[in-house]
Amino acid sequence: MVRNIVVLGGNSHPALVDSVCATLGLPSCNRILTKFSSGESRCEIQDSVRGKDVYIIQTGFGGNGSKLNDHFMDLCIMISACKTGSARRVTAVLPLFPYSRQPDLPYKKAGAPLFKAGSESGKKDYTFESVPATPAPGIPKSAGFTNGVDISNRLIKTTLANGNGVETPTARQTNGDGTYFSANGSNGFSARHYTTHDYENLSHINAFEAKPGYKQWVAQAGTLVANLLTCAGADHVITMDLHDPQVQGFFDVPVDNLYGRPLLKRYIQGFIPNYKDAVIISPDAGGAKRATAIADGMGMDFALIHKERRPTKITDRQNASMMLVGNVEGRVCILIDDLADTGNTITRAAKLLKKEGATKIYALLTHGVFSGDAINRINASAIDKVVVTNSVPQEKHKAQLGSKLEILDIAPIFAEAIRRVHHGESISVLFNHD
Amino acid sequence: MSTEMSNEIKLISGRSHPDLSNNIAKRLGIQVARTVSLNYSNQETSFTVGESVRDEDVFIVQSTATGDVNEGLMELLIMISACKTASARRITAVLPNFPYARQDKKDKSRAPISARLVANMLQTAGANHIVTVDLHASQIQGFFSVPVDNLYAEPSFLRYIRENFNAEDCVIVSPDAGGAKRATSIADHLNTAFALIHKERPRPNVVGRMVLVGNVEDKVAILVDDMADTCGTLVKAAAVLKENGAKSVLALVTHGILSGNAIETLNGSVLQALVVTNTVPLGDKVERCPKLKVIDISPTIAEAIRRTHNGESVSYLFTHAPV
Repeated sequence: MVRNIVVLGGNSHPALVDSVCATLGLPSCNRILTKFSSGESRCEIQDSVRGKDVYIIQTGFGGNGSKLNDHFMDLCIMISACKTGSARRVTAVLPLFPYSRQPDLPYKKAGAPLFKAGSESGKKDYTFESVPATPAPGIPKSAGFTNGVDISNRLIKTTLANGNGVETPTARQTNGDGTYFSANGSNGFSARHYTTHDYENLSHINAFEAKPGYKQWVAQAGTLVANLLTCAGADHVITMDLHDPQVQGFFDVPVDNLYGRPLLKRYIQGFIPNYKDAVIISPDAGGAKRATAIADGMGMDFALIHKERRPTKITDRQNASMMLVGNVEGRVCILIDDLADTGNTITRAAKLLKKEGATKIYALLTHGVFSGDAINRINASAIDKVVVTNSVPQEKHKAQLGSKLEILDIAPIFAEAIRRVHHGESISVLFNHD
Repeated sequence: MSTEMSNEIKLISGRSHPDLSNNIAKRLGIQVARTVSLNYSNQETSFTVGESVRDEDVFIVQSTATGDVNEGLMELLIMISACKTASARRITAVLPNFPYARQDKKDKSRAPISARLVANMLQTAGANHIVTVDLHASQIQGFFSVPVDNLYAEPSFLRYIRENFNAEDCVIVSPDAGGAKRATSIADHLNTAFALIHKERPRPNVVGRMVLVGNVEDKVAILVDDMADTCGTLVKAAAVLKENGAKSVLALVTHGILSGNAIETLNGSVLQALVVTNTVPLGDKVERCPKLKVIDISPTIAEAIRRTHNGESVSYLFTHAPV
């Protein structure tokens, strides 16, 4: 039993809140958190927070009918409500930090690569061999699965030819789960899912053209999100496996970046037979540090997949841009990454590994967001097992992926971090115990 | 590239209300800047500017669509922040309907003052100036430490009444005590009578008993308010006015939020017409409700933008509606 502490949960991940509260041995704070009919968030905190140490748990995940931006605003409103309610200290606990992955730089020096639409990209079913369609004008970026959510991907098109500016030709998608939408291409393009990778290849945003002579400026929302949390009144932030550790520097308040690594290590040791003979793989150069940390700690071999962005002479086009550094032939491969969103990176990597002779492929991820058509992609891929933590709700993914998905519980880590922060104890032991 | 410094109006539109931005751009004789906003499949919002805003005077128009308030607000914050980092000289956020304006006080223990939070967030993101229309409570201006221009729809409403009615036949009615000031101001300008309805509100979005103070017999009763949300208040007030002998009842409301069953409620009411401005995107509501009439507010906003940019006084717009 911990005293003088209040754990307040948002709507994004109630199961995690319950689990953390159960570990700490206290009930979660009573609150009303809904929406007014106008769409504004309504928040009332029903238990006293005066002089208390308040921890607000809200993960950066939208889905299952709720929206990411709603959750983020709810979080800011809850923080602000606790602050005005005379809480002693307010800590925002974000297992998955929203907007932590910034879009890649829009342009390479050589300009955006141009791809021609391949015939296979219109295919509707994923097979073992299928790879994500190459984005090109007129081709849906992802084959058109919706996420069970209703986002209208509205594009504002501005053309010089069109005298006074804006048109709003929008194909909105309101389909339910897993159904294809038919593009109402009134304007020659259809509603799609966009991913943070899309800026590698802009050709699909074919409605948008920067002014001649100007490249473009893409919003980097990471700093903004950090500032908004501080401005709402957060005194402390706890998160896990930040995509960019630099995000910590965006804050003026302390940030505790917990690691999911110990959990992943424990899984490797406990559930992967003859793990010493397996190879740890980083699916891209950016994650090499994360993967080598695990490989070194356990005395395992390490390999890396290098993404070559330049279009080269292409025979096997799908994997032309990927290159394996290291040897995996006849061995079990363990892919390590911090976050899987559309599943593009890991499924492509898995295909390459299979081709290079891997016998079995595990993918170990801290955050399994699985947006867009990630689930179908993974189901059809060469990955034998996906292991994720419950930093975002996984119930729906579990139902779709079945025994392919393994879920590790992070509630004890967050509960321990909250307990230690509350008592003013060091939490660095959480960073490096194995 | 010219070497001299350019400092022009850059009008940037969010996704919530492109029609309004379009009208404003047309009034100003400029084009809406080339930008694109989209949501990734993980629902994060992304915003891209397709032309230089360096050293320009940026105006970002973003209303918030009913039901999608948080989405619109986040998009606005991201747009402001993007322009800030792209070296805009000044960023003015134009919010025709200020989100969370009704959550402006701590009316219960531990209730959030969300309007202040929104104010702080806008400033944190980098807004140097705010333009809005008919704030629910003008005290919200005090939540900001940057200038806030609160424009009024009143001149547009006055013109509408003068054009469509004989002012002597009208009574201006405020549906609650809080709006009395707004209603009396219109009544004074028209030189007509004024009445007030007292209401009790047991819970949010629920309306209790109503009592009319004043005389509306054989008059055209014009209800004046700043926003119509579920329309429960307006419709009940209209019924009360009708019971008290009003010839006909119409309502003039600045922000037509019209959430929930508002349209059905309106269609089944004794209200002859509901006149709103286009501060809030109305979508298909105009087709669904024949009683709904829309006044274009874009001339007022466009003029405010022009005057702000040129460093002229905006107060003229408090009493006059540009034609």
